[in-house]
Amino acid sequence: MTKPETKGGGARWALFAPALLFAPCAFVYAVFFIWPQASLLAISATDAAGLTLAHYQRFAGDSYYWEILGRTLGLGAAVTAITLVLGVPTAYLLARVQSRWAGFLLLLTTFPLLVSAVVRSFGWMVLFFRDGLLSHGLMALGFADKPVQTMYTMAGVIIALAQVLLPLMILTLHGVFKSIDRDLEYAAMSLGARPIVALGLVTLRLASGGIVAGSLLVFSLAISAFATPSLVGGARANVMATAIYEQAIELLDWPFAAALATILLVTVLALSLAYGALLEGRGEREAAR
Amino acid sequence: MTISFRSPLGFVLLLLAVLAFGYLLLPILVVVAAPLGDTGYLAFPPRGLTFKWYAAALHDTRYLSALAVSLRIALTSALIACTIGVAAAYGLTRFSFPGRRLLEAIFLSPLILPTLVLAVGLTLFFTRTGLLVGSWKLVAAHVIVCTPYVLRVSLPVLRRFDRSLEEAARNLGASPVMAFFLVVLPVVRPGIVAGTVLAFITSFDEVVLALFLAEPGAPTLPVMIYSAVQLGFEPSVAAVSGLLVLATLGLMILYHLLGTFGGRRN
Repeated sequence: MTKPETKGGGARWALFAPALLFAPCAFVYAVFFIWPQASLLAISATDAAGLTLAHYQRFAGDSYYWEILGRTLGLGAAVTAITLVLGVPTAYLLARVQSRWAGFLLLLTTFPLLVSAVVRSFGWMVLFFRDGLLSHGLMALGFADKPVQTMYTMAGVIIALAQVLLPLMILTLHGVFKSIDRDLEYAAMSLGARPIVALGLVTLRLASGGIVAGSLLVFSLAISAFATPSLVGGARANVMATAIYEQAIELLDWPFAAALATILLVTVLALSLAYGALLEGRGEREAAR
Repeated sequence: MTISFRSPLGFVLLLLAVLAFGYLLLPILVVVAAPLGDTGYLAFPPRGLTFKWYAAALHDTRYLSALAVSLRIALTSALIACTIGVAAAYGLTRFSFPGRRLLEAIFLSPLILPTLVLAVGLTLFFTRTGLLVGSWKLVAAHVIVCTPYVLRVSLPVLRRFDRSLEEAARNLGASPVMAFFLVVLPVVRPGIVAGTVLAFITSFDEVVLALFLAEPGAPTLPVMIYSAVQLGFEPSVAAVSGLLVLATLGLMILYHLLGTFGGRRN
């Protein structure tokens, strides 16, 4: 960054311009972001008598909520695993394909992102019902001998949510693989490494920071997702997000909803800090080279 | 290609990628195709062929007014987010001052905040303070989630911008404001347009904040679809969703073509 110019009327401009430029954004954020979130924290830790940890103790003392938290983290892990298995090969091929197809396939990856998660979850619901394609397909392939209900199960939520988040994994990894020089792969192979060894020792190792970053991104989005778990999972597959909604909208227990929201927020923040640290570390390593 | 598709490894990679694309597109295909069936309930693959559900969706005033609400809110939110976002992005790239990185991190932080947490906080906030009425509550919420997208797209574009062009304009006597609108803006416009489009789509597709904050009598389209899907599987809901998918596809192709032509012109 160069210093702003100071000649002529520039000195006054340099002083007031930043303030004027930031003022609208800072005002909107202060009123509609920082203030509400701060009061959310305050509400989660107060009751009629003043400061209290009662709402958090209620969470800590009830195995039902621990189960929900565990289920939420399990959902995050399963969704991350699926998006990795499908996302790594797809992103790698997208980054290495040299033709007009590459652009088209990238568009095809982006397109689902533009369709609301509600609509995409709805598509899965049609497939998941006892009478749907999935059930018939499993029976035809001999995996099941009677109709299978995937609707209102965790398995259904995992399948649907992994589809919702897969484009983000592919797009993140695409950037990572693009930045890895393919000559390094050629070099490894010309030194005698078989393709699979070159891929594992060179490409995947260089991409590991990006892979972890993409996984953390998908994981934190999966544990905070609401629409898909609520539509596909319903009441029988309760996760943190649906539990917060239930407390707030159906039971009108706002302080407890605020406490649950804070617990979710802290989990996501911790993951994001790890994500930021990883990206930062990668940048420094690259700069050092 | 480093790895031939004919080698076993290449074949496995290709197979997984094909699976991934099938997986990505399957539910979207279902939503478009299922309402074509004339069974009276939703089935995939559809049986028979009828356009009556699509025709009914186009004439359903409930969905049409929800569409109008969604478009109005998305347009308002995207324009506000674009204005305050671009101003802030310009300030962040143009001036250096202590705490600049922190400010940038704060402006981007709604990206990592679960929207449900934001929704609970804002609902409580609006109830307690009585601030804002009607659809402005939802607009305020969407501005918060959309502005980071504008920033994320326009920050790199503004950083790449050649500052000497702006200085040349200033040396020729342009005021800072004139230099911004006559020199900086035309150059970085594609980035700003992309950020605003992204903000529009984010607001248009968003359901959680809308569930909490939309006016009871005027739900947005995603909220209408969400509620209808929870109640039951009418083919008309699928037809509305299908139309939405087709419209999105059409607009994406249009945007891409415009972008390609713009790229050639340069």
